[in-house]
Amino acid sequence: MTTTPGTEYPFAPVPPTEAVKHLGRIIADRPMTKMTMPYGGDVWLVHRNAAAREILSDRRFVREPFRTGERVVPFFVPFPDFLRGTLQFEDPPQHTKLRKLVQKAISPKRVREMRDSAVAFANELIDGMIDRGGVRDLVPEYSLSLPIEMLSNLLGVPSSDREKFERWSSSTLAVAGKSEAEVAADMAELAAYMTDLIAERREEPRDDLLSALAHARDRDETLTDAEILPIAFILIVGGFDNTATFLSTGVLALLSDDEQRARFTADPDGLAATTAEEVLRHGGFATGRPAGGGGGLVPFVATEDVVVDGQLIAKGDAVSIDPSAAGHDPAAVTDPARFDIARPDNPHLTLSHGLHHCLGAPLARMELQVGLAELFKRIPELRLAGEPVFSRDVLTQPMTSLPVTW
Amino acid sequence: MTKEDTTVPKVFYTQPDGTERVVEAEVGDSVMQTAVRNGVPGILGQCGGSLSCATCHVFLDERHADDFAPVGEDEDDMLDVAATDREDNSRLSCRLVLAAGQEVRVTIPETQL
Repeated sequence: MTTTPGTEYPFAPVPPTEAVKHLGRIIADRPMTKMTMPYGGDVWLVHRNAAAREILSDRRFVREPFRTGERVVPFFVPFPDFLRGTLQFEDPPQHTKLRKLVQKAISPKRVREMRDSAVAFANELIDGMIDRGGVRDLVPEYSLSLPIEMLSNLLGVPSSDREKFERWSSSTLAVAGKSEAEVAADMAELAAYMTDLIAERREEPRDDLLSALAHARDRDETLTDAEILPIAFILIVGGFDNTATFLSTGVLALLSDDEQRARFTADPDGLAATTAEEVLRHGGFATGRPAGGGGGLVPFVATEDVVVDGQLIAKGDAVSIDPSAAGHDPAAVTDPARFDIARPDNPHLTLSHGLHHCLGAPLARMELQVGLAELFKRIPELRLAGEPVFSRDVLTQPMTSLPVTW
Repeated sequence: MTKEDTTVPKVFYTQPDGTERVVEAEVGDSVMQTAVRNGVPGILGQCGGSLSCATCHVFLDERHADDFAPVGEDEDDMLDVAATDREDNSRLSCRLVLAAGQEVRVTIPETQL
């Protein structure tokens, strides 16, 4: 078999600018590539931004066969079982019902109301780092603490239980470094904790998401503990692990680019929103770490033959969106290799799009905006004091350490 | 075919600072889709039009109030949780589907998130 030089997919990590060029060549060549995943077989990985949006908005692509176990999720690792029980894997109308319940609790309006407390808490954390001085580790002392506090407020769980959440989260997404028995024990502990809390909120409702879910059951007989638990699980997992990594990545990206950092420190509040979007699109590349091609969001299955951008996706085929490629598609993004924190139009798909767009997107965006702005307002002279560390033991390969000083 | 049937719909988007941009639309597209496809800032349309994100909130010019189906129950719910407080002329722009010959004026709110 021959391949066209420079358009192979997947491809191993290369310097970020080369990766962007490589993605550009693939995008020029074809809208998607069929590849065999380490688990679950073949999947179409979609590179082009417009084709990706079309698929994410088309209800002929569903997730039911993954949820029921009829199909194995084509993925890099065995897909965590508990995630298949979440609303990410539901299709309408059940998806609509569950999503509506959660939606109001993390709506744009609610998140806007949480913004002041996020600013206050970010500043408390910064005060602590300044008091301690020397070299600080930004990940545990800031990037993780901020989203965990926000999530604790939202769910109505005591932030003093933060350490448990970190352990449970890393356990649910563990791909190495923990035995199956350890993971199972952590999951059981998490389920028991949440079940108790839901029961408490049924007795004494508060103004929090768990109370809303617990009492939604009273209004609608069909919402059971079995439905509430996975929602709580995915919020705990998705609620801080990803946001913490985005925040750490954003800080590292700014510390890696003198020009953009100077621009940001000159107007952190004015540039926070566009900077957050640019971090979501290109932050990983802007840190200078080698970038590869072969990533994908959670896949869908085609319920009938569908032609997208000239390519037939046959009934029963799995299809997934490659957000790195979609965020670097020259047809959708001007000068995609440039880290531009004032980029006015940024149609990246890192938080997906359509029916299954990230439920916590408003919260994640707010935390990223506040986290970056407050840090660089208070410590504009922030600089790296060592190499960042990433964990390969967890599905999302989060940044676990980022030494900084000032 | 009447003249009106072949006329391309147009949307006039006014930003919170008063700047206006006119975009030619496709018949059957919504005001949200037209904005997203043409890179009009301030309309995110995260959910792609499935009434589950409230990030395509606009203020519809009162002269067009009767040109579209009234606010439905799901739209009403989402308008309540939009980032910028709703007003009497608030709509989710994914619900404003364009017909041939239609010209629509909308104002984009201060923030969607």
